[in-house]
Amino acid sequence: MTHRLTLIALGAVAAVAAACGGGNQTTARTDSTGTANATVAATSVAGTRIGAPRTTAAGEWQMPAGDYASSRFSDLSQITPANAPNLRASWTFSTGVLRGHEGQPLVVNNTMYLVTPYPNVSYALDLAQAGQPLKWKFRPENAQAAAGQACCDVVNRGAAYADGKIFYNLLDGHTVAIDANTGKQLWRTKMADLARGETMTMAPIVVKGKVLVGSSGGEMGVRGWLAAIDANSGKELWRGYNTGSDRDVKVGPRFKSFYPSGTGTDLGLTSWPGDTWKQGGAAAWGWLSYDPELNLVYYGTSNPGPWNEGVRKGDNKWSCAIMARDADTGELRWAFQVTPHDMWDYDTVNENILVDLPLGGTTRKTLVHFDRNGFGYTIDRATGEVLVAQPFVQMNWSTGVDLKTGRPNVVPEKMTVEGKIVKDICPSLEGGKNQQPAAFSPRTGLFYVPTNNLCMDFEVRPVSYIPGTPYIGANAPEKKGPGGHGGEFIAWDATSGKKVWGIQEPFPVWGGALATAGGVVFYGTLDGWFKAVDASSGKELWKFKVGSGVVGNPISYLGPDGKQYIAVYSGIGGDMGLLIAGDVAANLPYDVRERGSTLPDLGRWTSWGGMLFVFSL
Amino acid sequence: MRATVIVLGTTFILAAATAPRVVRQAPAPNAGAKDTIRFVAHPDNIPPGFPSNDHPLALKNPYEGNAQALKTGSQLYVAYNCIDCHGADGSGAMGPSLADSRWHFGGTPAEVFESIYEGRPDGMPTWGGRITNDQIWMLVTYVRSLSAGKDVATENFAGATVERTGH
Repeated sequence: MTHRLTLIALGAVAAVAAACGGGNQTTARTDSTGTANATVAATSVAGTRIGAPRTTAAGEWQMPAGDYASSRFSDLSQITPANAPNLRASWTFSTGVLRGHEGQPLVVNNTMYLVTPYPNVSYALDLAQAGQPLKWKFRPENAQAAAGQACCDVVNRGAAYADGKIFYNLLDGHTVAIDANTGKQLWRTKMADLARGETMTMAPIVVKGKVLVGSSGGEMGVRGWLAAIDANSGKELWRGYNTGSDRDVKVGPRFKSFYPSGTGTDLGLTSWPGDTWKQGGAAAWGWLSYDPELNLVYYGTSNPGPWNEGVRKGDNKWSCAIMARDADTGELRWAFQVTPHDMWDYDTVNENILVDLPLGGTTRKTLVHFDRNGFGYTIDRATGEVLVAQPFVQMNWSTGVDLKTGRPNVVPEKMTVEGKIVKDICPSLEGGKNQQPAAFSPRTGLFYVPTNNLCMDFEVRPVSYIPGTPYIGANAPEKKGPGGHGGEFIAWDATSGKKVWGIQEPFPVWGGALATAGGVVFYGTLDGWFKAVDASSGKELWKFKVGSGVVGNPISYLGPDGKQYIAVYSGIGGDMGLLIAGDVAANLPYDVRERGSTLPDLGRWTSWGGMLFVFSL
Repeated sequence: MRATVIVLGTTFILAAATAPRVVRQAPAPNAGAKDTIRFVAHPDNIPPGFPSNDHPLALKNPYEGNAQALKTGSQLYVAYNCIDCHGADGSGAMGPSLADSRWHFGGTPAEVFESIYEGRPDGMPTWGGRITNDQIWMLVTYVRSLSAGKDVATENFAGATVERTGH
């Protein structure tokens, strides 16, 4: 702890010295936002701290984002900007499965744990032996029909380790617990109802002996929830719904909304016409964070169902909201609806990174959240107060967030409505950022954010709710945004709400970020490049063409030999690799698709794959 | 079993070209299951009317070639949410492409009817009994029209000039 503070102080001193000496660290990269002050000197921000300090070994990776704060920061520092050009592939492992390899492996006790896309096989690899032979392989029973209920590819975002057990979700709606040493299933609990279009893709976290899980299905007319399962017995302990009565949503006397629009009885009912809250979506399919001091679990909810807004006039709480629940009881302590009455499929499920930041002369406990709607939020994580909200991508649907109410000011011409095709809405429904998680470095004080540069037309059409089929009611073709690049990997200052540097990419940056103490940041691209860049300047240090596009998230661990390793999946899929890619598949003789119009070049650079790549010096 | 019949049938025809003498196989004294299958599969021993793949299901589409049915089918395709799984114009999304002349479970009218009526593994819902057979046939008419004239076999990127940034 002491040495980390010292490093930050030194960093701050160095930055001041640089500024005084005219050492302005600007980047040569093109800034596509068109803002006047395009490049900002990258400085260390004194007083930044990851909000939930790691209690696990620096050389391991025990939970999806490395820590409860979702920092995706590794304390390992052997790899630096000076030696990163020497990185090389160390070993690989074929997962045996195709489709989107979202998520990340875990490393605990010199063992690497992987979970594949459906059918959600899990592996334990022995890192202590040359060739990384299997310790075990687990092949769950997993209903085939689930593949037809998952909107956006049969992905899995990873497992969590706790107490000698591996926990993860199956696409068909079960959560499983596996003995980390033997690979035997300890329990299997049905949490989601496939018959109603619910599947599970999210990565759990384990908090105080409870496995926290949520469901997918915002496009299937489901009703979202977050639940806790006893890690030993597999019994469900609590479930808080994201729409419905206060009793179902678990709004009680300890609930407090910072904003008046979030205060009232049964808002999860009254902000919907009639019974539409029952198919209201608000699914918790994204990332979870946890603050042990406040004892709060943070997550976001999906879009409301259906996309056809005419069917559900009203704020539609608590869809598109950041939720803070008591980890013991599931009580909702606060909620902030990021996009009330969403008309663009701007889910709010993206990660909430818990960071203490200097703001207004004091240190605030915040969460930083890069939303689908294109705003980068810095929010007080104790109360839900919005401190900063600035666009991190090009956008035109809103002129800004009113900090008095927390609500976005919507541009009337970009409101979607039945009867007309609304053109050129930015960002597209895929958002300024989607499931691909950002990372934070306390060394630089910066957030590293993989973003999309996509816009869309949006046509609302009538829709019927038929259980087990999609409940959407819209056509929304997408295209690349202004500038013609598909995405950009950016560094962001969450105290000022400004982009510090950016690396444009031809395709949306659909893989997650990793920040390391050595000052190197890693991310992968859809066209199959895995890259190392300088955390301060964004300068590209090294890259390697992996077998298939990257939609997963890199981790770093210490091998048994004491060396630092970087591991990442390659295997394109998810929305980019299935829904809009056109034909990047090869293994299905009965499914040959024409080139997609959104990313017509994608199939030239990648096809489906399924491989773990591990790199070292 | 059916596939085995075809292979052996072909073998027999080839054999007949060089050895016109008809071969009759008597069962071996201790015929196990394997011998039994070989015995039954011999073309000489196939009972009349035994189905083969040369004659698939005889269900006929009453709306074959019917433009109005095709149009209604296109509307049902949207109304029943087929569009959201299989994409506009059958381009493929959550579910496979219907516009590529390639069929997982067969592309004859009867086979497409069966896929919609029964549902299929991997997530195609069961529509039989929930919507009328008439509507299913109209969907069959529409779905089978989506591949018309398309050759998806080759993807050629030559001459594709798409701007690249970065590398």
